[in-house]
Amino acid sequence: MGIFILRRTAVMLVTAMCLTFIVFFLTNLFPNLEKLAKTQGNFRMSDEAVNSWLDSHGYLQPLPIKYGQWLGVLPGWQFETDDGITGRCFKGTKTAAEAAEARGFCGILQGHWGQSTVFKDEVSTIVGIRLALTGKLMLCVVLLMIPLALVVGVMAGMREGSKLDRSLSTFSILTTATPEYVSGVIFIAIFSSSAVGLKWFKGTATSAMDDANFVNFFLPVLTISLYGMGYIARMTRASMAEVMTAQYIRTARLKGVKFSNIVMKHALRNALIAPFTVIMLQFPWLLNGVVIVETLFNYKGFGWVLVQAAGNNDIELLLAVSVVSVVVVLVTQLISDIGYVYLNPRIRIS
Amino acid sequence: MKHETTNGKPVHHAVEMYAKEYREGHLDRREFLARATSFGVTAAAAYGMIGLAAPAHAAATPKEGGTLRMQMEVRAMKDPRTYDWTQIAAFTAGWLEYLIEYNSDGSFRGLLVESWEASADASEYTLHVRKGVKWNNGDDFTAEDVARNITGWCDKSVEGNSMAGRMASLIDDETGQARAGAITVVDSHTVKLTLPAPDITIIPGMADYPAAITHSSHDPDDMLGTAVGTGAYMPESLEVGVKGVVVKNPNHTWWGHAALPEGGSYLDRIEFIDYGTDPSAWVAAAEAEEIDMLWQTVGDFVDVMDGLGWARYEVSSGSTIVIRPNQSAEVDGKKIYADKRVRQALVMAVDNAVCLELGYAGRGTPANNYHAGPMHPEYDSSVSRLPYDPAKAKALMEEAGMIDFEHELHSIDDDWRKNTTDAVAAQLRDAGIKVKRTILPGSTFWNDWTKYAFSSTNWNHRPLATQVWGLAYRSGEAWNEFAWSNAEFDGLLVEANAIANADERRVVAGKIQALIAEEGVTIQPYFQSLYRHATDNVVNADMHIAFLPQVYKWGLKA
Amino acid sequence: MEPLGYFEIVIRVLYQFTPVWVALAIVFATSMAFKRRLGLYGKLFDSPIGMIGFALVMFWVFTGIFGAMDMIITHDPLSQVSGMKNKVPGTVLSGAGEGEYGWYLLGGDNLARDVFSRMVTGAWVVVQIAPLATVFAFMVGITLGLPAGYFGGRLDTLLSFAANLILAFPVILLFYLLVTPEIVDTGVPNYMATVLFVFPIIFVGVLLNSRYYTMPNFRTPLLIGVLGVMIWIYLSLISEVGSKVHLLPGVLDIFDIPGGILVVFVSVVFVNSPTVFRIVRGLTMDIKTRDYVAAAQTRGEGPWYIMLWEILPNARGPLIVDFCLRIGYTTILLGTLGFFGLGLPPESPDWGSTINEGRKLLSIYLHPALPPAFALLSLVLGLNLLADGLREESLKD
Repeated sequence: MGIFILRRTAVMLVTAMCLTFIVFFLTNLFPNLEKLAKTQGNFRMSDEAVNSWLDSHGYLQPLPIKYGQWLGVLPGWQFETDDGITGRCFKGTKTAAEAAEARGFCGILQGHWGQSTVFKDEVSTIVGIRLALTGKLMLCVVLLMIPLALVVGVMAGMREGSKLDRSLSTFSILTTATPEYVSGVIFIAIFSSSAVGLKWFKGTATSAMDDANFVNFFLPVLTISLYGMGYIARMTRASMAEVMTAQYIRTARLKGVKFSNIVMKHALRNALIAPFTVIMLQFPWLLNGVVIVETLFNYKGFGWVLVQAAGNNDIELLLAVSVVSVVVVLVTQLISDIGYVYLNPRIRIS
Repeated sequence: MKHETTNGKPVHHAVEMYAKEYREGHLDRREFLARATSFGVTAAAAYGMIGLAAPAHAAATPKEGGTLRMQMEVRAMKDPRTYDWTQIAAFTAGWLEYLIEYNSDGSFRGLLVESWEASADASEYTLHVRKGVKWNNGDDFTAEDVARNITGWCDKSVEGNSMAGRMASLIDDETGQARAGAITVVDSHTVKLTLPAPDITIIPGMADYPAAITHSSHDPDDMLGTAVGTGAYMPESLEVGVKGVVVKNPNHTWWGHAALPEGGSYLDRIEFIDYGTDPSAWVAAAEAEEIDMLWQTVGDFVDVMDGLGWARYEVSSGSTIVIRPNQSAEVDGKKIYADKRVRQALVMAVDNAVCLELGYAGRGTPANNYHAGPMHPEYDSSVSRLPYDPAKAKALMEEAGMIDFEHELHSIDDDWRKNTTDAVAAQLRDAGIKVKRTILPGSTFWNDWTKYAFSSTNWNHRPLATQVWGLAYRSGEAWNEFAWSNAEFDGLLVEANAIANADERRVVAGKIQALIAEEGVTIQPYFQSLYRHATDNVVNADMHIAFLPQVYKWGLKA
Repeated sequence: MEPLGYFEIVIRVLYQFTPVWVALAIVFATSMAFKRRLGLYGKLFDSPIGMIGFALVMFWVFTGIFGAMDMIITHDPLSQVSGMKNKVPGTVLSGAGEGEYGWYLLGGDNLARDVFSRMVTGAWVVVQIAPLATVFAFMVGITLGLPAGYFGGRLDTLLSFAANLILAFPVILLFYLLVTPEIVDTGVPNYMATVLFVFPIIFVGVLLNSRYYTMPNFRTPLLIGVLGVMIWIYLSLISEVGSKVHLLPGVLDIFDIPGGILVVFVSVVFVNSPTVFRIVRGLTMDIKTRDYVAAAQTRGEGPWYIMLWEILPNARGPLIVDFCLRIGYTTILLGTLGFFGLGLPPESPDWGSTINEGRKLLSIYLHPALPPAFALLSLVLGLNLLADGLREESLKD
């Protein structure tokens, strides 16, 4: 098991490196750099001005070198201007002596995630704050989605083909067929607008960032949960239906054990192995929903940062965002694999 | 007849002349007020000179204290001289104040400069700095501060310093700095500006949003850390794209409480909350009662906000949109729009009233494609546009051999600019002209805004039509997105700028209008009215004609 | 003319769809009549869920096709009529000329365009792009997944790593990186198209070659003919006058895909391929242990023959089911792109963009956003039900 986790961690690191390099490559294509220079300087810069701006901010070095600096395996760049020396590892301009002192490595290995060009702040601070907000959202989603999905799935699967099964299955198919940008829009119109007049909930979750409560947080949570739950519910149903036809359940039924006892004591544990892996693999996929919902409800979390960073070609912020999302994807995969082994004694890792 | 000036000196003779012009109907009220007050006459006196009573301001006196929550984009700080968004100024206006303010009725009023007067030929200005004003670190506010700021505005070497353009007549072209002897500190509270030629745009320039007055300790890279200013507020927090908060500074006595008749700076706390650029999110925020006031209400959302029962503030302005071809842009190696027939065809295929209806919900007045309107004093209403005639347009396009060409029409991705441009595209198609639409996000659009072969751009209100023409239509100007280069026009513009009398200037302006229209330089479909909504609880939240941030006026109902 | 009542609107909308009803009736009647001879497709008509799903899907397919042939729409989807802005369903067309349809059946949108016609035209965009992109993704996934699963070893490790790499990318981040005007300028999508669109050619080439290599006289002309046409289509597909990839002279270039649509298409294929790859690889690893594969190996068949003519046909059940689900997913993905204003041209009547347009004024005007929303919902629902039906029926084997 230890070796298995070690190997997976190594693969994870390599994957993260490859991915960040791809992001690095795409964000450092010249048209993107030009856009960055113009948003940072001003919109009416001449081509020469763009070049000199990029040069003095270290963007015109060869790609592998820039990437090395970002990682922290190469020393950060320094650039001499008329006023003094600017550099990657310090703010503003410094004299030659100060700059020589400040020369050194400053990449993610040293814990230096860089500066965001849009927000004019440390990338690590921004990602930290926003990730915590999204964490809050996701926690609520998980608390709503998983019990709902499992209940629907188990109820549908325990008597396959019944009326209850038919209606619950249709419900779960319907939710998977309704993307967040459709359901969210409909919810806002029905539950929060003056046009319909119900006004049960708030159509924006901005205030939920400081003070989340049922009224301002329920709609975004519901929107993400509904789209995600259909798939889990269908998996649970299939798994449950399969277990219910297994030999030992039939035996138990023939012995006259109460139906509710069969379901609760015998079927459930085995039926939940498959949904567990699906739930874990669902997390990275939920990120999509998070981005849409955060945009729709104006909740400024991780998805919002992603949109802002990508829209403004904020290179270092975007890299941090990709590192975080890749780690989330890979860690959930790892947990899903380990959990599968742990829950299912029939499988042993060779 | 004696009239009051801001400094007690006699009224400038030109103002008497303007009053006469107004009485004879050659000058409209807005223009008269703008000119009279820019010569140092108080607004009340100016109204008096033309036989009107000054409108009663501040009908309701706000209560002291309270928190105002305003929807507004929260942007990153930068040096005030380089401000490119009025929203940045709105956040800093709490502590970084202005020398002079420009009001929606066209009048100017002294703030940190109590009064000013111009010499007879308007080439020398004397600014009388308000006495008793203190910086919030305890320093006195003096003429030195004023001179330092004006000198700073003249520094062309600062990247993106737009004040340099407004102060052009103070700048030495060779050094790119203020001309020696142009700015003199006469005594501790008097500054004198000496210009090489008459320039009546200096005072309006000082009232614009990048002209915020900073302390000598001002550090552009750390504006929040060294938030020394004269205003009643101080910044509490700023999270770009999320929220910015200013609170009343407890250790500072604001000069305005004593000096301004109506007082001001009533609120304890102003929160600027960013809800993105999508107005539907603002509506959601309003319905959720998370905000009290919008920065600006656009298009159909005026109806939506009315429907919510919010109070509407409206001002009709010279803000507009141009949908223009770029005459030097090459498509497939050919300068398509250098051909006048092609441009005329585009203009003639579009009914401006339809653009107004579909693009801006009819909230404005149709314009005639020459970028001048009733809000401009020199506007000649007898000049008409090229007639709306789709059949003729098609014929012209055929004649130019471009009927099979597919025009690519760019616009930014937002509500009214996109819709107006879509309306133009649809009308061109109806006329048989092929159009492809391209919509770019704001972050990308402005990269090449002057260079697109065919695109739409919005232009803000400016007091004089000649100001806009000089900025955007003169040959070789940086903002000449039309790439129009016409010697006749340049000559007429110089001629117009040399005529002080609006009546005489109108003759030349009429020629300019006719020339721009006939050349098919642009489609300029309408002038906008600007709107803002606030709850009934908010008072003095008037929309400003040029989006200037007058935060000290805002308050909550007593 | 009078504005229409709700009952009348429903009748008139249903009437506009007449060609679709006729086509649906014909398809269902013939399919039911011959269902015993139609294999898996025929069995679909034993399952009520499958039939409902199939009906929903075919409804939108026919709507797309007839809509594109101008048989359903009442107005031009792009033309704006003064006075019709945000008008409620059934409003009389203002200033209607001779021969024009007199009403906006489902009302006008924010730019005074006919909501009904835009929804119908949008069906064509979706019905074209989503299945085609899915087909391409399957070609790529199958061409790479079969050898990875069959041979295993280094090849498998490498390809699986690459697939996992793409899957680890949040889709939305990938789109934001790929579908921007700046990236289109650099030609990256064109290069990606150049690589991705090769796979169908390889697939068909290997497919035919492995089947007919024993008959060189028949195979050679067949391959030259088929591959010749495909390569020509391929070249004219990827090369575009004025872009970075410009291989064919304009005369031979039979069609151009605008950069905006190409980049959307490529991105969608790129995102879907790794999942298909993983499914195919898994199925191959499972099926290659079967007896009939061992029999073919002892017969001395080549590996490609075994993969394409023994393994692939036996993996078709799960693949067809996934294909249906994946079209639905692609439809949703296209809508997501429209929601973020990425990709398809702005005036495009595709459902994602129209929903996004309509949602802005949703609190006062419900009618412009709801028809495309329900259209998208019903198509994806149909595809899901169809997949369910197919799964059920294929399990009965």
